[in-house]
Amino acid sequence: MKWLKKSSAVLASLMLTSVVAAGCGGNKASNTPAGSAQPDGAASSALKPYEVMMVFPDAPQKDNQLVQDAMNDYLKKTYPELNMTVKLNPIDWGAWSDKTNLMLASGDKMDLLFTADWLGFQQQVTKGGLLPLDNLLARYGPDIEAVEKDYHEPAKRGGKLYGIHTHQELGGAQGVYLNKELVDKYNFDLTALKSGKVEDLEPMLKTIKENESGITPLVAPSFPLEAYYSSTNLDSITSIAAINTAGTAPDNYTVINSFTTPRYMELAKLTNKWYKAGYINKDALTPGLDAWKKMQAGKGFAFVSDMDILADMEIGKADISPNGSIKAGREMLQIPLNIDRLQTGKMTATMYAISKSSEDPERAMMLLNLFYKDKELLTLFNFGIEGKHYVLKDGQIALPEGQTTDSVGYYHDIMWQLGNQMLNYTRVGEDPNKYQNYEKFNEKISSNRSRIFGFVFDPEPVKNELISIDNANKTFVDGLKSGQLDPEEVVPKMLEKQKAAGADKVIAEAQKQLDAWLKENGKK
Amino acid sequence: MNQKRTNPIIVIVLTLFSLACLIPFWLVFMISVADENWVTAHGYSFWPGKFSLVAYQYLIEDAEKILRAYGVSALVTVIGVVVSLFVTSAMAYALSRKEFPLRGALSFYILITMLFSGGLLPWYLVYTRFLHVQDTLVALIIPGLIGGFNVIIMRTFFTNSIPPSLIDSSQIDGAGEFRTYFSIILPLSLPVMATIGLFTTVSYWNDWFTSLVFIQNEKLFSLQYLLTKTLMNASFLQTIANKAYSSTAQVTTPLESIRMAMAMIAIGPLVLVFPFLQKYFVRGLTVGAVKG
Repeated sequence: MKWLKKSSAVLASLMLTSVVAAGCGGNKASNTPAGSAQPDGAASSALKPYEVMMVFPDAPQKDNQLVQDAMNDYLKKTYPELNMTVKLNPIDWGAWSDKTNLMLASGDKMDLLFTADWLGFQQQVTKGGLLPLDNLLARYGPDIEAVEKDYHEPAKRGGKLYGIHTHQELGGAQGVYLNKELVDKYNFDLTALKSGKVEDLEPMLKTIKENESGITPLVAPSFPLEAYYSSTNLDSITSIAAINTAGTAPDNYTVINSFTTPRYMELAKLTNKWYKAGYINKDALTPGLDAWKKMQAGKGFAFVSDMDILADMEIGKADISPNGSIKAGREMLQIPLNIDRLQTGKMTATMYAISKSSEDPERAMMLLNLFYKDKELLTLFNFGIEGKHYVLKDGQIALPEGQTTDSVGYYHDIMWQLGNQMLNYTRVGEDPNKYQNYEKFNEKISSNRSRIFGFVFDPEPVKNELISIDNANKTFVDGLKSGQLDPEEVVPKMLEKQKAAGADKVIAEAQKQLDAWLKENGKK
Repeated sequence: MNQKRTNPIIVIVLTLFSLACLIPFWLVFMISVADENWVTAHGYSFWPGKFSLVAYQYLIEDAEKILRAYGVSALVTVIGVVVSLFVTSAMAYALSRKEFPLRGALSFYILITMLFSGGLLPWYLVYTRFLHVQDTLVALIIPGLIGGFNVIIMRTFFTNSIPPSLIDSSQIDGAGEFRTYFSIILPLSLPVMATIGLFTTVSYWNDWFTSLVFIQNEKLFSLQYLLTKTLMNASFLQTIANKAYSSTAQVTTPLESIRMAMAMIAIGPLVLVFPFLQKYFVRGLTVGAVKG
């Protein structure tokens, strides 16, 4: 018992100290940039050595240490005035949430932290785990600003910026992939898909079903309802609240339940019809099902998914998909049926933040900034050491002779996480113009903004309702999207359950917040 | 007559029960030796049309990592079980003695630990800031050492099946507390030791969460964590790819048969442990029967 008392006292004091320490860190960070008025040159010459710890999700690499050393050598040689080293701390995908939550809560030292709305960005901000970055960015992030200046709004909470978006493609396109071999065999007329309507795929599915036994015409697990519905028809706010953009005036800001639009019903009925006709595989909802593997095994004809990004994509235009063809091991056609608008959510899907436990947030921001301008540093991080982990073949990254992705010691596919992607090399087999394509594609997307781009919903007032709505949805959504449930019968039931779970309250809250935002931004 | 009528029913029920236990193993084993493409095309099957040992070959190539994880798990389990049995039984024995003054208070304390836990964060803070055991095997061993439930089972066993007069007589013969404990109590308690030993073996062997929280160093990963990690990473990457947060996120799902082969390897020792401990259970029953 004595021991217990003693240890709990120690614990309590520990927690106190960490809270105090965290508090101090926060103060220091927000005060220094504004308070210290000395010129940059003077400040940097006095910089003490500092190790910036980067925490990001990735499988641990055997040669992590080697790459880290190489990065440090490079930093020392190229930016001696910054006087910093980097420590790479990858955390397994599977352990990511548990580990980072513990690290943030316990105040373990870390500086740069990968984050995203789907990895709990909102909670991290709410719990006070992240530092506001506005001042740091203004002072130490000129190269970030150069490419991301217009896109900070979505990562702001309470008027302060908490995450820096990775510079990359600003959206995607959804459509169908088709097995080219079969398209050629039956001489399918693809112009029908110019309409951008997935319905027009039906005659082809029918032909395949009738003539090719053993081949699934439309392969799950991605369905029109899931991969294609929301992006074409909605500006989403939460899991149910959205603005219907299909056939409404551009200044329509009425928040509705996204499951009540006519288009949802149409697509749900279509999927159900296809399922009944046997166009969709029956095991569509089995976890771990991978459409690409089915294509590889030659067991599938088409599936709905996100498209490879090409420069001159247009709705209904069929192209050979460069990456898709690699993944499927055969020629694959892609036909985009929808091209995204610029959405708030996409801007918070890949970010880096600075942890409150950082002892030197300025230096963390300086390092982050380097990843937006220094191709060599970014390449070291993304591909490892030249000659050892990769070789350049015609300006593309290839594995060294006789190495496989397993044996090479440093091979990760997380280029999309960090810095300015447009500085990256492409891998052999990828479209060498990938990043130029991105730039062109971005122009297209950024010129077509979502009506509510920049609006961030604060889920706090309706947290409980959102959870019970998600639970209500679970019973139905999967069955609907795979076509196994009859929508005429099930959708009304689902809407009833959603209502009971508080759907109206969520929609009203979304409308209220949206109206306030519109007023603030002079849109209404 | 009576026996003849009931026997077939019991046999059928037990056969069905055994089948229910064995069939999943069979399925897992069959997938682990099935040809990957065949599984993709046809799904799981009790008798795959095409066999291949690629999965096991792959695991042999990766043998170093797996063997090390095996070693870590085995070491932690053996040390953990031995130490745990010692401290649990010592505590339970003390609690079972009416002469022990703190009996009530300690029992209450144990009860509390069964009802409330400190939570993950305090646990983490104590281990990393106070004990500094992160990234060591000690961090894997300590958490399983004492379970309130196990202590209470043992205490009940000591109170019920060891007559106090036996302790008295041994002490009259000149045995001290430790002598009594080691030479009289422990040998008489083999059934409960085997039971609790099995409990702790299973929990040590199956524990992956402690590795997740405290171990950074890949060399100290336990086998179960290695397995969980592979599966969790795969499902996570799949979610990302499905939602396509970025077109560059490529999925590298581990092959189905490799996952199953790993499962086969991981259950090995547990299957072996049970038969060896079984004789103690049988004896425990007879001991009770004779006395009862």
